[in-house]
Amino acid sequence: MSGSLADRQAALVATLVAGAPLPPGFDDRLVGVARSALLRKRAREVARHWPLLAAGLGDRWLSVFAGWAAARPTRGALRDGWDLARQLAAEGDLPALAAEELAAREAGWRYDGTTAPRRRRLPAVRRAGGSWVLQVAGRIWTLPPHRR
Amino acid sequence: MDVPGQSHTWGIPGPTFLSIFLVIAALLLAGTLVHRAVSFSGRRPENPGRLHPLQVAWLNGGDHLAIYAALGALRVAGALGSQADHRLVQTGPLPAWATRLDWAVYQAAGQGRRSRELIGDPGVRSALTELRAELERAGLALPPTARTAARVGPILLLVLLGVGVLRLVAGIANHKPVGFLLLTLACLAAASIVLLVRVPRGTRAARTALRTLRDQQPHLSPEYLPAYATYGPAATALGIALFGGAVLYALDPVFAAEAEIRRTVASGAHTSTAGSSSGGSGGGDPGDSCGGGCGGGGCGGGGCGG
Amino acid sequence: MRRMTEATGTTYGVGIGWRPEIAGFVAALPGLRFAEVIAESLAPGNPLPPALAALRERQVAVVPHGTRLSLGGAEPVDPARVRHLAQVTELLGAPLASEHIAFVRAGGMEAGHLLPLPRTREAVDAMVANVNRVQAELAVPLALEPIAAIFDWPDDELDEAQFITEILDRTGALLLLDVANVYANARNRGTDPVALLDRLPLERIGYVHVAGGATRDGIYHDTHTDPVPDAVLDLVTELCARHRPPAVLLERDGHYPPAAALRGELDAIAEASGFPLIT
Repeated sequence: MSGSLADRQAALVATLVAGAPLPPGFDDRLVGVARSALLRKRAREVARHWPLLAAGLGDRWLSVFAGWAAARPTRGALRDGWDLARQLAAEGDLPALAAEELAAREAGWRYDGTTAPRRRRLPAVRRAGGSWVLQVAGRIWTLPPHRR
Repeated sequence: MDVPGQSHTWGIPGPTFLSIFLVIAALLLAGTLVHRAVSFSGRRPENPGRLHPLQVAWLNGGDHLAIYAALGALRVAGALGSQADHRLVQTGPLPAWATRLDWAVYQAAGQGRRSRELIGDPGVRSALTELRAELERAGLALPPTARTAARVGPILLLVLLGVGVLRLVAGIANHKPVGFLLLTLACLAAASIVLLVRVPRGTRAARTALRTLRDQQPHLSPEYLPAYATYGPAATALGIALFGGAVLYALDPVFAAEAEIRRTVASGAHTSTAGSSSGGSGGGDPGDSCGGGCGGGGCGGGGCGG
Repeated sequence: MRRMTEATGTTYGVGIGWRPEIAGFVAALPGLRFAEVIAESLAPGNPLPPALAALRERQVAVVPHGTRLSLGGAEPVDPARVRHLAQVTELLGAPLASEHIAFVRAGGMEAGHLLPLPRTREAVDAMVANVNRVQAELAVPLALEPIAAIFDWPDDELDEAQFITEILDRTGALLLLDVANVYANARNRGTDPVALLDRLPLERIGYVHVAGGATRDGIYHDTHTDPVPDAVLDLVTELCARHRPPAVLLERDGHYPPAAALRGELDAIAEASGFPLIT
């Protein structure tokens, strides 16, 4: 195997997180095991930041996340979860519990999908399923509090 | 132009009325504030750490938060669960540490009640009454008599306000200048309403105890993403007691959602959503958007190597 | 470590990785004298989290453990990350700092994970250059931790002991020996973990990591979310019979068990290493 250390490291990372082909000489099975271990770890970190997204998807969480993340290098757990939640919302596949969590985030933070989210200074309102989420001065209220 | 004694509203000159009005208002206001200062002081517990978590919950968020704290403790202990139709279910035996409120909540779960119905359950009601009575005896909860008494002052102020409004109307009808009176009435209205509405459920001693407990137990704050399984039922109940219903979402999101827990039941600081603390502000990592909640993580999971 | 034990002469005993999730558990350990915090979780501009500051007030040594410097990366280590580690070390008043013999990003992409280096001279050179850059900023010794690797590179020139020793010799760094990683690598490669212990410079150990793991897909994963296997504890005993390190620290990063189980793991580590109980 040839090439500089930098190129070879980049090729390996691309294989692991961006779906690039396996560089020659590596054990296909073991690198595959590492790739899925990595996705599980990433899923757990995203679930820490997006507990309702993970809980809302329940048993499907790991497979949904892994399917989404397999060829997407991480942009940090917060943004990974955010991007996934927005995509699921667009596809109409976002569970109600997760929709409320996403709405709370959208009300509290400004996130353009390409740069790091920033806290909103002004109050904001977002709709999530049957309820409204209101953010004033960093505090979040969900209205009505009870889902029927 | 003015003919004395004739065109004065009610026969009293404006400045005179205003002075008398202000003196009475000031006396009533001072009396109310002094009464509040005395009757709300309560008795400081020797060691706030000895308070039961459900007592702390009641002091911070009343009946609803006490019920939530009991739900959380029973959930961590594996005694309670929920169903998609929002009904609670028993999932294990009643733990040995159960208080009367825990017991009542557990029994109600056995009858398939929803969590929002717990507040009307007779067993839960009577346990809450008892909880409150204990706290009153300890000088932490304001007895109903004190709460009623605290409203006398503001009600008298509102009566005075009524007199002022009559005078205002009469003054306007009389084409008299009413600017100062209007200003006085506006201030008085605001003060009376605040004093009428803001009668706390706990004494000042209770609020101090809550602050002390929050300082002593920073690790139960949702910002730390506490490992409730490690801390156990009592600490979980205390976490809910100090930091509100949102803690139940961090503890078990599916249970909290099915049980229709309201995140805002609490006066604990900035904990209104399960995720509000884990946004993108904190974290010291200069290179990436780790997010405030990244304190743990680091490693582990699926073959860390670290 | 000649440097460390002889310079500081301190023996800390059993420690635990401080994580916000279990801060209350850690605070309640009466005999605790040593802990570790993920360096990237602290912001040097802010005061320490209150629960961590309370540990420092109790004179518990808290070591910053970097996970994202990517010292084994071919590119020079990011100066901002080096400065951050140095500032956090100072903020904690730590007796040493630690990082990994690994890389975590390349070609502008984050692996989100510690990845193994090829055991080549070129990789040693890259690693040594980056370690030197960090050491230039740190006022205290740096300890380097060899990782658990699920796979190896195809063209290794050195074996693991040679690779580690070469890096330590050329940098003067301490060794942060993760016994669970030694176990995982030996088990997954079918080699003898004790034989590796016998070839490492044990007198240079700054401290030791112990962690749990689980077998999945036929591979032992160093998960930090499962109980510590007996085989890892046995390896702690083997290590301490040869050379007892200043501290042995439990790393747990998730699926936190009830306090009693976690205390049981700390007690088992104390027993395996011959250190006093801290629970």
